[in-house]
Amino acid sequence: MIARIRAWALGVGQAAADWMEVRTGVVSMLEHFLYEPVPKRGMWLYTLGSATLFLIVLQFLTGILLLFYYVPTTDEAWNSIYYIMTEAYFGLLIRGIHFWSANVLIVVVGLHMLRTFFSGAYKAPRELNWVVGVVLILLVTVLAFTGYALRWDAEGFWAWEVGIKIGSYTPFVGSYVATFLLGGDTVGPATLSRVFAIHVWLLPALLAPLIGIHLYLLRKHGEFGSEFEYTKRLAELRERKQIEEYALYEEGDESPRE
Amino acid sequence: MAELQKDPVTRAQFIVMGTVGTLVGAVLTIPPVAFMLSPTIKTNFLGQSDVPDDWHELGSVFEVPSGTPKLYRVEFPQNQTYNGEDPLLGKGTIMNAVLVSWMDGEIPSALENASQGGLSASQIEELTSQLNVMSNHCAHLGCPVRWFPDRDEFLCPCHGGIYDINGGLIGGPPPQGLYYYAFEIREDGGIYVKHEFTNGEPWVV
Amino acid sequence: MEVRQGPVKPVEEGEIITDENVYDRPDETMGFFPSQIVADLVVSAILLAIVVALSYLVPAPLTEPMDLSTDTYVPRPEWFFMFYDQMLMFFPGFAFIPFGGIVIPTLVVIVFFAVPWLDNEPGHSSVKRPFMGVIAFLVILTVIINMLLAIIRILNFPGGSP
Repeated sequence: MIARIRAWALGVGQAAADWMEVRTGVVSMLEHFLYEPVPKRGMWLYTLGSATLFLIVLQFLTGILLLFYYVPTTDEAWNSIYYIMTEAYFGLLIRGIHFWSANVLIVVVGLHMLRTFFSGAYKAPRELNWVVGVVLILLVTVLAFTGYALRWDAEGFWAWEVGIKIGSYTPFVGSYVATFLLGGDTVGPATLSRVFAIHVWLLPALLAPLIGIHLYLLRKHGEFGSEFEYTKRLAELRERKQIEEYALYEEGDESPRE
Repeated sequence: MAELQKDPVTRAQFIVMGTVGTLVGAVLTIPPVAFMLSPTIKTNFLGQSDVPDDWHELGSVFEVPSGTPKLYRVEFPQNQTYNGEDPLLGKGTIMNAVLVSWMDGEIPSALENASQGGLSASQIEELTSQLNVMSNHCAHLGCPVRWFPDRDEFLCPCHGGIYDINGGLIGGPPPQGLYYYAFEIREDGGIYVKHEFTNGEPWVV
Repeated sequence: MEVRQGPVKPVEEGEIITDENVYDRPDETMGFFPSQIVADLVVSAILLAIVVALSYLVPAPLTEPMDLSTDTYVPRPEWFFMFYDQMLMFFPGFAFIPFGGIVIPTLVVIVFFAVPWLDNEPGHSSVKRPFMGVIAFLVILTVIINMLLAIIRILNFPGGSP
């Protein structure tokens, strides 16, 4: 009886997988992703990238959750966050994850960049992936900065205030930058709306496809490239050369003497 | 995968692609850019302001002490997005901290023999030249400066800008002294300010 | 779609490794699943644990509501902007603030973008390309020193330590 149910379940599973495979090719795609050969060395170093992805996914999830309560107006922004922190179930956790994973994200992104730099993983043919990575790190920095301002509390507001003031020192276009970021010539409701639009819609919409391109280019060229992935082969090459060299000396030593 | 089919482009198709493409592109770019930049266009090119051009009472010249500045808070009406002059919109305000001091901290002689009742035109003129009405936003990056009585200086907590009691720059990275409000002194000694600055644009005030 | 076969052995039998073919294929590889996925999962789980613990131990900050007319609040940058904030100290006046605030950061970003073209030494190992290594080390050192200077400055502001 159990054997028959098992056979039937397997059959249904197989049929469902086949059905999806014919229509979308998802099974072979998954197989392709899962069984891709990756370097054995540096397994733990290479977790920095996936940790970044994980933290960004956390940002997207908790960000969407926070929007269930957050109100982007000057009068209610602070109050709605206060509500999240004190009244909403697990509000402390959801906002805590959004805040702390953003901080951890900055650290992990920095380490990821350093790892890429010191292993020379940006060299041909991976230059474009480095460029995309730099764009991503800039987007993450601006996201962190704008997220700070959305709180509309003293800390976040003054940080944004200083940011606008720095923007107003941009050569030639400073005053335009300032009025664009302020949404007028004074700080007010338009300023918060702009920060909200940039943090919640504009930058995530840019970030998501760029992460896709980053991953696509990674899969296309693989993680290999660092000499560190050829340690054994290099060692063997060195050994063989040494033997040849000794052989050469031995020959050379023998001939002039005799 | 099937072979890619490469048909030649006809003259008519080329013209349609060019004109229709340009039109679609224009409709999809020009209005969005103007939409986003409308505050910039209104402020920088049309000279409009979010704060109406009115005088607001700050206090009286008789309250301003010698040797130390006095801090006032003044609420200006502000029209921005959902707050505006239109009766269907809400009413918004913007609160400013204004520092008022006498030139070098000395009460001018014109004030000593003036009565609360009324100031003459010449007295008003002298007092106006002796009064500093300043924004408390540092001219460097806009942090709120504060008065340190033991040093007789304003200090900015952000990057250490130092100003004297007249708002003049003493040291630190700020490019200039504190921003001065446009103000007037009326016959009863009242100080009135506008949300306007006579030396530069502080932006985030 | 065919599953790509990874090179299983670093050296095939009878293969002679020369300067030309040494980088043709890497050392022994493994499938992405399961080893790498397990490693990724472990690291992500540790980070999640840290983040969850922090959200209860040190709740995300929410200071008093914004007040434009405050005369007592001391604005401080986030920790990852401290080095930038400190850098602004060294650029006083109308002529230099745009340099410290905008021009130099822009140049640094452009240099970041150009790294793959600036460093065209063939080796990957950081020992074998000392020039880039030294530059990177100096950049990191500058950031850390600026960060420390910022912390010292913040602690020394009269009556304004956070």
